[in-house]
Amino acid sequence: VDARILLVEDDPSIREVTAIGLRNAGFTVEAAADGRTGLDRFNAATPPVDLVLLDVMLPRMDGLEVAREIRRTSTVPIVMLTARADTIDVVVGLEAGADDYVRKPFEVPELVARVRAALRRGAGARRDQAASDASAETPLRLGPLAIDLAGRSVTRDDSTDQIALTRTEFDLLVDLARHPGQVIGRDTLLDRIWGYDYLGDSRLVDVAIGRLRAKVEADPGAPELILTVRGAGYKAAR
Amino acid sequence: MRWPRGVRARLAGALVLLVAVTAVALGVTTTVFVEARLRQQALADAAAQATFDLTVTVPGRQLPDEPTIDDVIRSGLTDTFRRRNVESVIDLGAGETVKSSDDLSDLLERLPADVPARVGRGELAYAWLDVAGRPSLVVGGLVPGGDLAVYFVRDVAEIDAAVGQLRAVLLGGTVVLVVVALLLARSLARGILLPIEEAGRTAERIERGDLLARVPVTSHDEFGTWADRFNRMTDTLAESIRRLEAAQHQNRRFVADVSHELRTPLTALVAEASILRERLDDMPVETRRTAELLVDDVGRLRDLVEELMELSRFDADAEEVALEQVDLVKLIETVRTSRSPNAVFRAPPKPVMIEADPRRLERILGNFLDNAREHAGDKGVEIELDASRGDQIIVAVSDRGPGVPEDRLDMIFDRFTKVDPSRSGGSSGLGLAIAAEHAALLGGYLQAMNRDGGGLRLELVLPTAVARSLRPGDARAT
Repeated sequence: VDARILLVEDDPSIREVTAIGLRNAGFTVEAAADGRTGLDRFNAATPPVDLVLLDVMLPRMDGLEVAREIRRTSTVPIVMLTARADTIDVVVGLEAGADDYVRKPFEVPELVARVRAALRRGAGARRDQAASDASAETPLRLGPLAIDLAGRSVTRDDSTDQIALTRTEFDLLVDLARHPGQVIGRDTLLDRIWGYDYLGDSRLVDVAIGRLRAKVEADPGAPELILTVRGAGYKAAR
Repeated sequence: MRWPRGVRARLAGALVLLVAVTAVALGVTTTVFVEARLRQQALADAAAQATFDLTVTVPGRQLPDEPTIDDVIRSGLTDTFRRRNVESVIDLGAGETVKSSDDLSDLLERLPADVPARVGRGELAYAWLDVAGRPSLVVGGLVPGGDLAVYFVRDVAEIDAAVGQLRAVLLGGTVVLVVVALLLARSLARGILLPIEEAGRTAERIERGDLLARVPVTSHDEFGTWADRFNRMTDTLAESIRRLEAAQHQNRRFVADVSHELRTPLTALVAEASILRERLDDMPVETRRTAELLVDDVGRLRDLVEELMELSRFDADAEEVALEQVDLVKLIETVRTSRSPNAVFRAPPKPVMIEADPRRLERILGNFLDNAREHAGDKGVEIELDASRGDQIIVAVSDRGPGVPEDRLDMIFDRFTKVDPSRSGGSSGLGLAIAAEHAALLGGYLQAMNRDGGGLRLELVLPTAVARSLRPGDARAT
């Protein structure tokens, strides 16, 4: 394990107890009390942090802004700490680039589980690497997209530039592309990508799909690669 | 709008009756009076003329003392009279008469008996008779110093004609008056009823919640006074309602603020307690039980604060509904597995699709299951899904607990209601109130009933046409 986590939270008690809980679970924790400091710590960290835990309401620079700034340069997993699960907060947080959220108040084991699940994304792809090494001669494709599992990169046929996907988006794309034409339910995706056993928030999937489409579709308003199946879930074009 | 028509009819009836009776009474009196005067005048004229003729005209012809019929005829008296439009009969006595017209043949016989008798005594006498089909005045008198009696017959049809005209005019006048009375009644009624109808419309607006509606005060009469009082009453009511709403708003705002302020320390508490719980086994015996209690109580505090916050969001109308196609069978099974694995759910073989907000459905069902577990333990809890009715889908949770006294059944969805007040601990008493708010947002409602053989049955009733009946943000009216 020994992953490095940047924790940005303004309330000292919450910050301290969260840090204790994460350290007890074996993580290395760096803490910041406001958004500006958090962003500076993130940019200055060597080696780079493996995951960012971000409160939404922060002094000096709010969590959404911090998430957007981080996303400009990095695909690091971001987990938001939100005050309310059923408001616009969640969707706005996810759209700002967060991979997952944990609702306040939270129990530490629950938080640790979410952090571990977020860190596993990518690790899963490393496992895939072994699998794809066995069948390396058939790289994964979805329409004009070439998905390099080993390098965790995606390119369009008409360009040599890599498309920058977060780990969540990459895993989502891989999962869909592996089963072209097959409808995959939101719950299934929540389970496979986010590690929710049950009762996850399907908005996680919807927002992540939206972000993924914005990056890989020619026209995100009329998707041709990742299709919505009303009332059922999503499928990759065959 | 029934009674205004009644007022109109009553007012019109009264006015018309009054006008008609007055007009008829006046008309009859006038006619009688005018007719009497006309006859009196005609009689006076006829008597004066007769006296003149008897004393001047007849003697002027110098008839012999014992005139014969021929003498009388030659005298031309009847022609003279006739030129003045007066017919005449000259009675020579002994049944001999000279008549100006053959129509007069039986005149003397038709006269009332006292007329010839009084003429015989030398008086003037008269009678009103129909002669040759025309109303006439007959005046008779004796020529002084002779045996000749002359009966003058004047046509008085013009009196009847005049009276008839008068009657016609009066009748026409009466009709005109009645029509005028009707129009007057209508305008009067409108003058009275229009403000009343206006006031009625105002009252209706107030009833629908428009507390700014007022009755226009347009007159200084009794109605104006009434309208003014009505408006002042509405002012007072509106002010009271406004103050109550402000107080309630403040109250709810306070609850929202308090629960919001509690959230930060609560978040720290919950995180701390969760770490403590992991390490309970490592604690020395003397502090371990206290730590256990602390962990449990933090959990209770968390539930209470979260439920308060949830309710204050409903009170602030800050809830939005995210509708999507939901398979109820799958949703119920998921909630059952996670919240109450011992509950029995006989799932229908086919999916039951409904347009709803799945997270609200989960919340309602979860609160039902929590309630059942709290009051009846984990055994005998059943979940039913009834989609057999066309327009409603019912999700029911039944337990085998003690049930609820019948008179308190409808209170269990109120806030902080605990059926058994002596019981401490357990849930906050907000769970079912929250479920009811969620159900209302989905266009449905909750109901509770006791089961045969003991136990409580909670039902969520959802309209199948929820998507059509529901406008997000507008569902709280239910």
